[in-house]
Amino acid sequence: MSGFRGKSRNTTQGEASPDRSMPSTAYFIWRLIAYQPVLYTINSLFWILFHSWPLVLGLLARAFFDMLEGRAPAGLNLPTIVALVVAAGLVKAGIIFGGAVSGVPLAFRIQGLLQRNLLERILERPGARAVPGSVGEAISTLRDDVEATYEIIGWAYDTTAALFFAVGAMAVLLWVNARITLMVFIPIAIVIVLANSVRARLERLREKSREATARVTGAIGEIFNAAQAIQVAGAEKQVVVHLRRLGDERRRAMLRDQLQSLWLDAVFSNTASLGTGLTLLVAAAQMRTGEFTVGDFALFATYLMQMSYFTRFLGYLINTYQKSRVAFRRMVDLLQGAPAQSLVAPHPVHLSGKLHTLLPLVKKESDRLKYFEVAGLSFRHAGSGAGTGSGFGIENISFKVERGSFTVITGRIGSGKTTLLRAMLGLLEPQAGEVRWNGQRLGRHENSGGLLLPPKVAYTPQVPALLSGTLRENILLGLPDEPEKLERAVHGAVLERDLEGFPEGLETVIGTRGLKLSGGQIQRAAAARAFVREPDLLILDDLSSALDQDTERLLWERILARDAACVAVSHSRAALMKADQILVLENGRITGRGKLEELLAANAEMRRLWEQD
Amino acid sequence: MSFLKIPWRAYWQLLRRYLRPQSGAAFFMSALLLASIALQLVGPQVVRAFIDAARAGAGERDLIAKALIFIGVAALQQVMNVLAAYWGARVAWTATNALRADLTEHLVKLDLGFHKARTPGELIERVDGDVNALAEFFSSFVVQLVGSALLLAGVLAIVFREDVRLGLVLSGFTLLAVAVLGWVRRFATPLWAEDRQRSAAYYGYLGEAITAAEDLRSSGAVPYAMRRLFEHLRGWMPVRRRAEARRSVVWMAAVAVFACGDAIAYGLGGGLYRIKAISLGTVYMIVAYVALLAEPIETIRTQMQNLQRADASIGRVRELMEARSSLEDGTESLPSGALPVEFRTVSFGYDDGPPESPQASPGGPQEPRVHGSHGSYDSRESRESQEPQEPQEPYELENLSFTLEPGCTLGLLGRTGSGKTTIARLLFRMYDPQQGEIRLGGVNLRHARIESIRTRVGLVTQDVQILEASLRDNITFFDPDIPDGRVIAAIEALGLKSWFDRLPGGLDTPVSQAGLSAGEAQCVALTRVFMRDPGLIILDEASSRLDPATEALLERALDKLLLGRTAIIIAHRLSTVERADDILIIRERGWVLEHGSREKLAADANSTFCRLQRAGMEAMLG
Repeated sequence: MSGFRGKSRNTTQGEASPDRSMPSTAYFIWRLIAYQPVLYTINSLFWILFHSWPLVLGLLARAFFDMLEGRAPAGLNLPTIVALVVAAGLVKAGIIFGGAVSGVPLAFRIQGLLQRNLLERILERPGARAVPGSVGEAISTLRDDVEATYEIIGWAYDTTAALFFAVGAMAVLLWVNARITLMVFIPIAIVIVLANSVRARLERLREKSREATARVTGAIGEIFNAAQAIQVAGAEKQVVVHLRRLGDERRRAMLRDQLQSLWLDAVFSNTASLGTGLTLLVAAAQMRTGEFTVGDFALFATYLMQMSYFTRFLGYLINTYQKSRVAFRRMVDLLQGAPAQSLVAPHPVHLSGKLHTLLPLVKKESDRLKYFEVAGLSFRHAGSGAGTGSGFGIENISFKVERGSFTVITGRIGSGKTTLLRAMLGLLEPQAGEVRWNGQRLGRHENSGGLLLPPKVAYTPQVPALLSGTLRENILLGLPDEPEKLERAVHGAVLERDLEGFPEGLETVIGTRGLKLSGGQIQRAAAARAFVREPDLLILDDLSSALDQDTERLLWERILARDAACVAVSHSRAALMKADQILVLENGRITGRGKLEELLAANAEMRRLWEQD
Repeated sequence: MSFLKIPWRAYWQLLRRYLRPQSGAAFFMSALLLASIALQLVGPQVVRAFIDAARAGAGERDLIAKALIFIGVAALQQVMNVLAAYWGARVAWTATNALRADLTEHLVKLDLGFHKARTPGELIERVDGDVNALAEFFSSFVVQLVGSALLLAGVLAIVFREDVRLGLVLSGFTLLAVAVLGWVRRFATPLWAEDRQRSAAYYGYLGEAITAAEDLRSSGAVPYAMRRLFEHLRGWMPVRRRAEARRSVVWMAAVAVFACGDAIAYGLGGGLYRIKAISLGTVYMIVAYVALLAEPIETIRTQMQNLQRADASIGRVRELMEARSSLEDGTESLPSGALPVEFRTVSFGYDDGPPESPQASPGGPQEPRVHGSHGSYDSRESRESQEPQEPQEPYELENLSFTLEPGCTLGLLGRTGSGKTTIARLLFRMYDPQQGEIRLGGVNLRHARIESIRTRVGLVTQDVQILEASLRDNITFFDPDIPDGRVIAAIEALGLKSWFDRLPGGLDTPVSQAGLSAGEAQCVALTRVFMRDPGLIILDEASSRLDPATEALLERALDKLLLGRTAIIIAHRLSTVERADDILIIRERGWVLEHGSREKLAADANSTFCRLQRAGMEAMLG
């Protein structure tokens, strides 16, 4: 049983070409730091100070015991030391506050940048499928992997702080007693180096546990996405059994991962006790003579405790580094072919100041359609259409659309109708052929997003998707609110009567937190979205499929009354009869073109399609 | 004391439910933890003995032995620690997996109104995100909190034995510390709940934008989509900043408290040493124990922080767990064989949900309520005219009655918004009518077991939901007990063999909502129904999206499927109802315009059905 399609597909690809195209983690970290140098510096100063603070505490402990033994420097007495201890605590508290609060804007800018760059890429990517896996998996990357990288940006200053403390502590200890310092720290260093060499194995385990997690998240998403289908099939129990199975796999993977980390952590945290024990061993003779004081021992014990905290911390740092490698790889996978550098390309995330205003559509003279041509357009689905099930693509399609004319593309399932529209629009990258606007060849979309965009062209997909928000927002999608235009679009889409029934007309909130529209209403809302852009060429994919006859007829009438050419995929009789030209698609090729009567006379496929309705 | 305001009962119920099945593992983990705690208390005692012996000029061998004991105890403690943590994680994952599955099972069974009010992304955040926050709680909260409390008690007991004054002061300090930290904790919870809400809304939006990628891109609305992302982040950041500031106050309080603890240890230890009440070794031991106190108090603090998260998460998880389906399950089973259908004066509206909950009420209306038009089907003028809006009627269906004999096929006609889809939903008991009753096979649906309805009624909806999974899983819904042969036989019976043979991976072919054309999705949906043996089949515009050639294939398969079964076919197109025995035409709010045998209606030149057929012909001709 294959189960839900997990991330495995991408990962195998990733492993096949091990990161050749991927920059190092350090590169990403560096770019992210360079994105916010000021905030980063402020934040790192707080944490470096925080991590170095124990240097002070150790010296205070030493002064305390030395004072009790009567060896304290002049001016230090019990009340002074007690006061200093309290003061040190208060300063540390202040440092923590500064670090925590200054970290938030930094985190939001860095996470926002990654999410912004990823979303932009997903939205501009050609291809009907915006993300490689399920939406749930993409969200898991956008959320968890991005958040994991925030941990890594603290990585660099944490490392600096650790080094700072280590160097400071060693200097103090060597000054206090060089022999004992060396005899204690050399064995500890060896243990740490040995333990660290085991770490390499951790990444593999971590990757596995992360994959298992993505499968669980993906499965939960799928289940709720298809809640109705599952209920209709009475399959609630089965899907939960499936989820339990995936959960079990995840638990096993997680535990293997965790056990390894735990042993390593134990070794590291034991270095404090080991070091303290070693100090006792080595200093036994000198403590008897009073050469090595109890104060010195307290200093050693304090620093050793902190060192062990840092060795454990080092483990965390290495873990984080490895984890973020996996996270970065997943994010790069989600970029789907865009250069990995674009993930961290600096762009504003607009957390303060004025948000950029959205530009209104301006129709230039060259946007006016005289005629539109498709020439020799071919598209084959990658991997012989695996997984898409939607046929074999299209082969050498050519046709011409005159200003204001009506073209209907018809054909049976899998004949390539939708593929043709998408290839034409630039939503799929055709392998051959071109698209011409008034004879002018339109360049392949590079980074510019769609090849054919408003105000030239507007498109309504077969199953349109709307966003949660008001109906007005969904129709305008950021266009300036011009009531007349909007009203025309709503009327054109035969949506005006639906609106009357909505509690707040165009202000009605639709989507998950609001009114749920019927399939037909969604299609017509999407049509209004296209109409309000007032294109010279309308491209409609099976627009009327969820409408009743009356509404459908009215819709076609109003579409044809517009001053725009229209290319529509449809098998509706109303549309076929009104068409200036019909293109009959069979297995991705045009097998007939012309007016309805001509085709009914000459084309067997057309007759078959016609007679069924 | 605010410490007591934590909803212990809620936690306890959750714990008891999910830890009971693994009580053995939980006890083992507790034992390991206790051993580790005991060993932790031994360390400072050894050091004190060492220091006092060294200052008294004891033999070197004696000192070395003490140092070695110290190292051994420390190593053993670590081993205990690892084992305890491992078992803790094990228990936690088992428990949260069970919780996740239970929650999913509960939610997926809830009525559709619930699901329409929430994005899948939001539910992922709840079922995975919130439950993960609870994982901490399961893995460490109880054991660590109890363990820390025991460690505290152990340290205090030892200090009391050493010196009562010291014991009293440190006990007072500990109580005060726990109280202060507990009090500070109260600060943050509401803000973190808001933070998680923002997070859910933000990621919900990202999910929607990705789903709508093609729409946004082709509408040139990518800048708009990006702008909304920025707006979400903008709204969220101040919330996070406040939450983070308050959380750091909890941490700051802890740091200040520990500093006071050190100060007390130094002050009292130093004072007692000055008056020769204790040895220098004992002073060191006291300082070490106070440092040791910091750890359990610190643990309590971090556990409190987890609690803050868990608090909010538990609240939301409980809320979800308490979400009840608006349907009450019945006890009767539907009979086998073809089912007769009867609607008795049924009235139903979607809008009767609790009005104070904005999420619940709009869960309903799938179809627009069309007001102001009383025009019948063929009076186009009144359709076009815009009459003033009538006061809103609460009902989607009003007083609808009709019957359908077993084994017969009913063609249900009506304009968009007339309530056809609602009729299908009621028959499938996705909702209950407010008035009247619906009988299926003589059983009032209110009294029928929902599971029995779901097995005996087959429904093909307008929008087919496709799982991102293999074709097999899409048809069997992950039931491993259904052999491939049965699935393929069903596909063949539907005449979809030619389509199926083209799939590169056969049943293993991964499919997805975006990858399947609407027609193919319908094929999958029909196969799903085909796989079961329903006594009533409802086709809700099932064929509206199929291209005519494929429709022809399905027609033949449908003949087979409908044989010996009752069927209701909802369609806007006349051709789809040609196989119907009876015709029911409804207007707004389910008012019956016409009901009768198809042949009779077709023969009656004055019937609406007949006129409709003619109008259809007219449309074809011109």
